[in-house]
Amino acid sequence: MHELSICQSLLKIVDAEMDKHPHARLLRVFVDVGRGSTIEPILLKDAFEIVTSGGRHDGAELVIHEIPLVGRCRSCGRRFNYDEIALGCPDCGAIDIEIESGLELDIRELEIDD
Amino acid sequence: MAKLDIGKKIQSENDLVAAENRRRFADAGVLVMNLISSPGSGKTTLLEATIDRLSDRAKILVIEGDVSTQRDIERVRARGAGGVQINTGGGCHLSAKMVAGVLDDLDLDSADIVFIENVGNLICPATYDLGEDVRVGILATTEGDDKPMKYPAIFHEARLAIVNKIDLLPHLAYDVEKVTREVGVLNPDCEILTLSALRGDGMDAWIAWIEDRLSRKKE
Repeated sequence: MHELSICQSLLKIVDAEMDKHPHARLLRVFVDVGRGSTIEPILLKDAFEIVTSGGRHDGAELVIHEIPLVGRCRSCGRRFNYDEIALGCPDCGAIDIEIESGLELDIRELEIDD
Repeated sequence: MAKLDIGKKIQSENDLVAAENRRRFADAGVLVMNLISSPGSGKTTLLEATIDRLSDRAKILVIEGDVSTQRDIERVRARGAGGVQINTGGGCHLSAKMVAGVLDDLDLDSADIVFIENVGNLICPATYDLGEDVRVGILATTEGDDKPMKYPAIFHEARLAIVNKIDLLPHLAYDVEKVTREVGVLNPDCEILTLSALRGDGMDAWIAWIEDRLSRKKE
């Protein structure tokens, strides 16, 4: 929904890093996007093209690693994806669930041609 | 070819501004609550009813967020609260930078509570820390009882979930117990209140909740 403003924030971080390597060309940006982050990967890729097109990093590729929304039951220890959960833990029914992954929105690394 | 390790949150810039907002609010000793919900679930009505009940005991300021119009800030000002309206011009959420931009227009030092009424949206505001103390997710009984699990990000972060418009329950097939359970699964630390901002049901418990947070803040 606001993938464009996320890409603008992303680009600021990328620019700051690339300023340290003024003669290098940016090839790829690797990001982690959790399923529960509210960010839609397809839209993020489109937005990235829009913000880089014709600019300093034109042609750079956004590589998205999608992270599943995983909960862990604090009662029995069972781990499960949030796609399967209805209410509470599928094994013991407890509702004390810890979200272990799936809310990430991180920039992991850059690949450059130096 | 080389790899450059970054390992940063994309929102790190917003988070930095949010931390600065948080520091400013702390210096002023105000309790700050970020109200998030879909459009029409009753955020502004809840604020009006809250101001009516609380403004004799606490100085309330409101930061209103909307795509356009001054409607909401006019409503809260008519009830006696001070505040400012942010118009995003199309943006679907408030950001820490937008909030930072209006703090100089507010007399924070003489205020007790700042309510931030976010843009009506159950999705995007979850991604933006504004520097608040408490995030509140508001649902209305008219929205259907399947919502918490459909919008996990908001309820995972919220300290409090409010189910509004309970006066309409006799006309709806809405299972409050189900909603309570789902919020509990997403976030066991999230408290839940059910109320009707318009009719007054449950408002005492909400006011008591605020006053409790306020006294804890002052300690």
